Amino acid sequence: MKWKRIWSITEITLVQLIRRRITLVLLLVIPSLFFWVVDFTTSTRITPFKLATVSEETYIEVPARDESLIFIGVAAVGFLASFLGLNLVQKNAEVHRRMVLTGYRSWEIFIALFTVLFFTVGLLALYIGAALHLFFTPQNLVGTLLGIFSAGMVYGSYGILSGVLIRGELEGMLLIVLLANIDAGWLQNPLFYDGAQHQEFIRYLPAWFPSQATLTAAFTSHPFVKSLGLSALYGLGLLLVGLLLYIYKMRIFK
Amino acid sequence: MPIVLKVEHVSRSFGRQKILVDASFTMSTGQLIGITGENGSGKSTLLKIITGILKPDSGRIKRPTSMGYCPQEVLLFGQLTVLEHFKCWAKGYGMTPTHWQESMELLLQQFQFEQHLHKLVEQLSGGTKQKLNLALALLHQPDLLVLDEPYNGFDWETYLRFWNHAEAIVAGGQSILVVSHFINDQQRFDHILHLQNGLLS
Repeated sequence: MKWKRIWSITEITLVQLIRRRITLVLLLVIPSLFFWVVDFTTSTRITPFKLATVSEETYIEVPARDESLIFIGVAAVGFLASFLGLNLVQKNAEVHRRMVLTGYRSWEIFIALFTVLFFTVGLLALYIGAALHLFFTPQNLVGTLLGIFSAGMVYGSYGILSGVLIRGELEGMLLIVLLANIDAGWLQNPLFYDGAQHQEFIRYLPAWFPSQATLTAAFTSHPFVKSLGLSALYGLGLLLVGLLLYIYKMRIFK
Repeated sequence: MPIVLKVEHVSRSFGRQKILVDASFTMSTGQLIGITGENGSGKSTLLKIITGILKPDSGRIKRPTSMGYCPQEVLLFGQLTVLEHFKCWAKGYGMTPTHWQESMELLLQQFQFEQHLHKLVEQLSGGTKQKLNLALALLHQPDLLVLDEPYNGFDWETYLRFWNHAEAIVAGGQSILVVSHFINDQQRFDHILHLQNGLLS
């Protein structure tokens, strides 16, 4: 019965997302546009960089354009997933509350929203992986896709948490831009990280493990599963906090 | 008559502003009670406390297990159809397909919006959205209906249909608590609770 109710909310949330055609088009256009700009503007000269989770001494030498494509792919999925997570929670928050009054449990709604995020980010990661493949072939395509997916899930969870914490749409968006821009869009670039001060600060940010997993899979034959696992733990942590706060905020006093 | 709702010494403040002060009343099965009062007098706060959306600072509420709530503002999914709303709400109420479909048909006829069944809510007029907003609260035939200005945006004919329906369901043993601003509604109520400066009289 509970699973039927969760499926019912998942279904209506997916249906609503599919009916927002402009949103879907933008989800596809934005990463493609990012890749096109990178391909158009970034040089193909070999740029050496180090990956902290691989080795502090070994330099990886790949064209700057390829490195930027991966970095931008992670940043794009992070941005899009976080805005999607925020929107899923915020957009119909009052209607969801009304649904709790009808008999749905708040955790059932939360799981349904997360399921929609999971599937959408999965499809987005596949699409981004396919788009990347047009520009260059990563060493481990499946690993690269999983890394991109994990970046989406970590940032999607952050978006959900932001949506639970903050009521205002603009405030939520600003909170996302603040972190996603600094973290996924700047500090996690290995070219920057190599010479950065206080690197331990960068390692605590949400995009650290997903970026490391993706770059490792794309450019090396080193294992990346540990980074993927830690990404999942990071995302789950954000999600758990979000769930507890969501249950608290949606509670009904009987 | 058995008591369906008991509100005992309920108070609620927002910051330093006292919205409800020591409100008490009871409601029996088959009663139609109206709540009146000026804007900001605490009517919606009282209804939100009764439904469990808000917690009172003090006091107790004894509610029935089966309640229907029609909020003042239209709370619907813009990208879902009328039918999808009924289906979704019915699952929440735990109704069987036969039961909710029968109830839906009746409500669609009663409020005359069956022609909009497959339309998205965002394509509906304000009045039709309000019809759906109300119909969703009535779908499972609850013991107590809590309606916060349920006919906002209704035309005169729909307004009269609402009252016909309300009187029929009260006659069938359900109870209705309704916030109203209209003086000509007052003759329809078994009792009128008036809220002024947080005090119920």
